[in-house]
Amino acid sequence: MAFINYSSREIQLKIVYYGAALCGKTTNLVTLHKQITHAQKGELVSLATDADRTLFFDFLSLNTKTLPGFTTRFQLYTVPGQAIYNTTRQLVLKGVDGIVFVVDSHWEKMADNVESFANLQENLIENHLSLVQIPYVLQYNKRDIPNAAPVNYLEFTFNNRANRALAFEAVAATGSGVLETLNAAARLLLAKYSKTPNANVTGMSQPNLSAAVPPSEESPRVPAGNAAA
Amino acid sequence: MTGIGMLTAEDQMAIEQRLTDFLAKSEAQWSALVDKGGNLFAQSGNTGNLDLSILSALAAGSFAATHELAKRLGESEFSALYHEGLGQHILMSALHHECLLVTIFGERTNIGLVRFYAQQVTTGLNDQLQQAREKEATAAPLLLDGDFMNERAAIS
Repeated sequence: MAFINYSSREIQLKIVYYGAALCGKTTNLVTLHKQITHAQKGELVSLATDADRTLFFDFLSLNTKTLPGFTTRFQLYTVPGQAIYNTTRQLVLKGVDGIVFVVDSHWEKMADNVESFANLQENLIENHLSLVQIPYVLQYNKRDIPNAAPVNYLEFTFNNRANRALAFEAVAATGSGVLETLNAAARLLLAKYSKTPNANVTGMSQPNLSAAVPPSEESPRVPAGNAAA
Repeated sequence: MTGIGMLTAEDQMAIEQRLTDFLAKSEAQWSALVDKGGNLFAQSGNTGNLDLSILSALAAGSFAATHELAKRLGESEFSALYHEGLGQHILMSALHHECLLVTIFGERTNIGLVRFYAQQVTTGLNDQLQQAREKEATAAPLLLDGDFMNERAAIS
């Protein structure tokens, strides 16, 4: 839940990067940490195993001056993607304001992606939340791999609903699309504090006002034959 | 719902005063009010160069993990959590409204004294949080005149 401190003129917002195991959530934060100027960012903290797999969460704090008179502090978290850490994912979602759902573009990871999206919705319910309330954007990551699923397939699978979420192609390892994804999420969150909200972001979905309206809650659909891929 | 959504300058001052009094009595080094989502609401004392956002996020995560342990033992919650180091120690105490009191202390004091005064200050902090929650329920939503959309990207 967003926290407004009128004394220090600060708004704190929590964005969680969610997605299947090894889809690139931590890589997003590592890349952001490299790309963003020193004055705006805190230290990147990773609670990971010896094999660099996220055990609890990764955390990165970013400060911006985008709202007049207020400092906005975005607290970016990742969840552990591995199936066994579901309780931990529920804990990290506590108090979430916005979500970046990272989709692995590998064909063979499609079932994992779909399962993770369903798991996200279940865990939001555990926290008395839903995708109807929480703004989210999609990131189609690993677009540079040779056997990447086509974007229209990913859009059909994860974004096939009346109010479509903004979606971004990315290669988190090289930085492509990473900042764009975060910017879209940040603007969706900040829009509710402006008298003249206008998401003004460019993604694959139409960048109009409807983008600031949380999409209806639906499960992603995988065409038969690919679900078990 | 996690924590509280806003703090007025008066609430902030009142909470910080309670934390300062608590530090004076307990001789602890630093104390803060954070929520279980990792937001830092108010703090008092000195932690040197420590990044307080990280400290809050880790404290909230640590407490959340013990909450799950408590549930599995049939407890609704562990009311306090203590980490003992060689020279620095942390005590985390549960408050109402999904908040925590996080206290760092060193060799000048001891866990018994810190815990005793922490229990005392939690009552006052809970009252303060209740007041903040009531104000929040009737406060107008924050809407700013400026159009940040015309500026450069939100984060660059």
